[in-house]
Amino acid sequence: MEVQRISENGFEELWVNMGPQHPASHGVFRMQIKVEGENIKEVIPHIGYLHRGVEKLGETVNLVQFMPMLDRDDYLSAISNEFPLALAVEKLAGIEVPEKAEYLRVISAELMRIASHLVFLGTFCLDMGGALGGGTTIFLYTFREREKLLDIIEKWTGSRMHPNLISFGGVRYDLYPEFDKDLKTFLDDFEKKIEEYEGMLGNNSIFLARTKNVGILPKEVAMGYGCSGPVLRGSGIKFDLRKANPYSVYNKFEFEIPTGENGDVYDRYKVRMEEMKQSVRILRQAVDGIPEGPISSQMPVKVAAAVKAPAGEIYSAVESPRGENGVYLVSDGKPTAYRLKLRTPSFYNLSAIPYLLKGALIADVVAILGSLDPVFGDVDR
Amino acid sequence: MNVWIKSLIYSVPILLVVFTIVAYLTWLERKFAARMQSRIGPYYVGRPHGWLQPLADVLKLIVKEEITPKNVDKLIFNLAPFVFLFAAMLVYTVLPFSENIIISDLSVGILAFIAISSLSIMGAFMAGWSSNSKYPLISAIRGGAQIVSYEIPLLLAIVAPCALAGSLKTTEIVKAQKLWFILYPVVGQISFLIFLIAGLAEENRTPFDIPEAESELVAGFTVEYSSMKFALFYAAEYAHLLALAGLGTVLFLGGWKGPFLPGPMWFAIKSLALFLFILWIRWSYVRLRIDQLLKFSWKFLFPAGVLNLLLTGLIIILK
Amino acid sequence: MLRTLGITFKNLFRKPFTVMYPKKEREMPKRMRSPLFALTKDKDGIINCIACRLCQNICPSKIITVVPAKEKNEKGKLYPEKFELLVEACLACEYCVQVCPTDAIVMIRVFGWATDKKEDLILTKEKMLEVYDNYKDLISESTASFLRKMQTPPRKKEAEK
Repeated sequence: MEVQRISENGFEELWVNMGPQHPASHGVFRMQIKVEGENIKEVIPHIGYLHRGVEKLGETVNLVQFMPMLDRDDYLSAISNEFPLALAVEKLAGIEVPEKAEYLRVISAELMRIASHLVFLGTFCLDMGGALGGGTTIFLYTFREREKLLDIIEKWTGSRMHPNLISFGGVRYDLYPEFDKDLKTFLDDFEKKIEEYEGMLGNNSIFLARTKNVGILPKEVAMGYGCSGPVLRGSGIKFDLRKANPYSVYNKFEFEIPTGENGDVYDRYKVRMEEMKQSVRILRQAVDGIPEGPISSQMPVKVAAAVKAPAGEIYSAVESPRGENGVYLVSDGKPTAYRLKLRTPSFYNLSAIPYLLKGALIADVVAILGSLDPVFGDVDR
Repeated sequence: MNVWIKSLIYSVPILLVVFTIVAYLTWLERKFAARMQSRIGPYYVGRPHGWLQPLADVLKLIVKEEITPKNVDKLIFNLAPFVFLFAAMLVYTVLPFSENIIISDLSVGILAFIAISSLSIMGAFMAGWSSNSKYPLISAIRGGAQIVSYEIPLLLAIVAPCALAGSLKTTEIVKAQKLWFILYPVVGQISFLIFLIAGLAEENRTPFDIPEAESELVAGFTVEYSSMKFALFYAAEYAHLLALAGLGTVLFLGGWKGPFLPGPMWFAIKSLALFLFILWIRWSYVRLRIDQLLKFSWKFLFPAGVLNLLLTGLIIILK
Repeated sequence: MLRTLGITFKNLFRKPFTVMYPKKEREMPKRMRSPLFALTKDKDGIINCIACRLCQNICPSKIITVVPAKEKNEKGKLYPEKFELLVEACLACEYCVQVCPTDAIVMIRVFGWATDKKEDLILTKEKMLEVYDNYKDLISESTASFLRKMQTPPRKKEAEK
């Protein structure tokens, strides 16, 4: 059977597969791309390769037991997954949280935010510059800093990626004695390193040419797709749950919400860079202001069935590095959730990809996909 | 008869030396890149500092399974790596390693270099077309567009030192350099810059490695190749890059000339320095996009090359 | 453009960040959580575990099986006849360590015990006791009593004062 592949303009059309095994597919993501020469005519994204049924799992195990599983959802910033569930259960059950625990939660969340944005920066440049080029250099620089940061988290909680730190009513680990010193050394060093990254990329006209006016996501479209986090802020909407609906003790800290203007790839990159600086600012304020006191208002884990949320339903969300990360919890008074729905930011951000890629070039695919910073544990749940 | 013997005497050792150097250049590049990235690089294969790593790499590639996909055009598919390598190796015929060590001192040496080195795209295109796969095809087409655009600025950049030397013979050009051409006011620097950029583009090096762009096209025209055939592409690319560094040395850095050390040593040192400089650029920048690449060539490099040539002519007339 | 080159050049002379792993091992933090478990013994060499099965109940991936023995040991306490832990599905969440009333199950701060045999990933009671003998000095700081001390909430009476 002869297939007609010549388009109206006389170009031959080609379906190209990108992923699930592809050097630039973040995690496992498959895109079928119809190209006409270098121009993209149509994109069909396929997700679900990493589907693990996290939501259903949440309905089968006790809430306490679900916490470490939730860590694996968005594996680059585990704390921002634990946070909303803890907030939801605490609000529903009326559990108080000591102030020190709130501070520790904020510190851990901001540390994870920096770690996650460093991964974004590294992989984004890796996509743009290739495994045998300048991209790798920046990738390794960012991972060098991330390593130092994860070391601090490991010293604190015992685990690098999945700390399982937050419990209902507080946190599970107190700080270790030299934490202040370690963190301050890291922050001093890290501020210089941010300058270095910006020096490497911000003055690089090749990088600017690749990112500016590429993959423009207008305000209305971003809102229409339900984007949040740096993707939404890159489009110029000043929406950050830490300011819009201050949870925990975020209203005690001074920080700004960086926004972009055009909503292009460069703006999303810039917003994340600025956010790292703001996180450093929050961390500096937080580490100086940790109050004395207990870290938990109840023993975190005694028997799994001990933690019960009274019947009711609640939605609570936090600002994860990728956007609004929310948990919708319906409880019927048993220790297991009746229904649990995760509102994961990556999924909504990624849904804009057919819109963004239409009319772009093949080379833009990687830049645009990288700038959305999806984590596929988060998209597929 | 004399010519045949002479070519044989020179070409066999030169080929061997080039292959060995190419193998070690991969080691050098890995070490260099590693240090630039706060890493250590090859370490365990051969102490100190993994000096046997190239050997291990070659062994690994030889031992690997040779796969020829089902629907490829077998003849062209098998021929392509050799065409690619042939073009890369043949250019060494006109490179003067010292005043006397040159395989063939053609009167149009520079022209021959450019003509042969652009043959390499034939190999790439053959590989891309015969693979019967989508990524290699896109890659080959990109490569073709790129080489057509960058050949012209490269030639324009090369013509300037040739005009200053008054010859196309590689040895004559070196001899004419009382002062290295790169130090020649204005013209020298501009043409060196254009030469470097266009040369990088012609060798498919980052930031111009569009045909290979592995984050987009996986590995470009070498996607379907494996084992030694892939190694040939790899080796040819390095050999080609080294040849380009050699050409840069001949044209701009005074070839074999230098105090104390013998000629070939100076040639090697200068070429290596230029090679390292190219690596430095490679490991620092991200990649351009194909349309930006072509625009850059036609809208900037080409006019700059022409103006530079005009300036060179003016200087020669005024002299 | 030139600044990029300058920064990479500067990094050329920085010390490599790599830790040459098999030769030099990274210092493992005290609280490290690694899914290698040990069953502790008391001074007399008798197992601490009282087979209360709290860990079996709390484990999110349900990989712990404890079968208490029919009779009591010489100290007059229950002890496990069978204690099995399938490390292949361990989340390293530390809940089993945390709930243990007698500090019986602990984590060992060891890195690089990866294996290609499935049998090695099934930790039986005997294996875990052997691990305890081998790695007595490398027990993670976060044991049940340590965690309890760290997390103890203020008593209600004290809070009212």
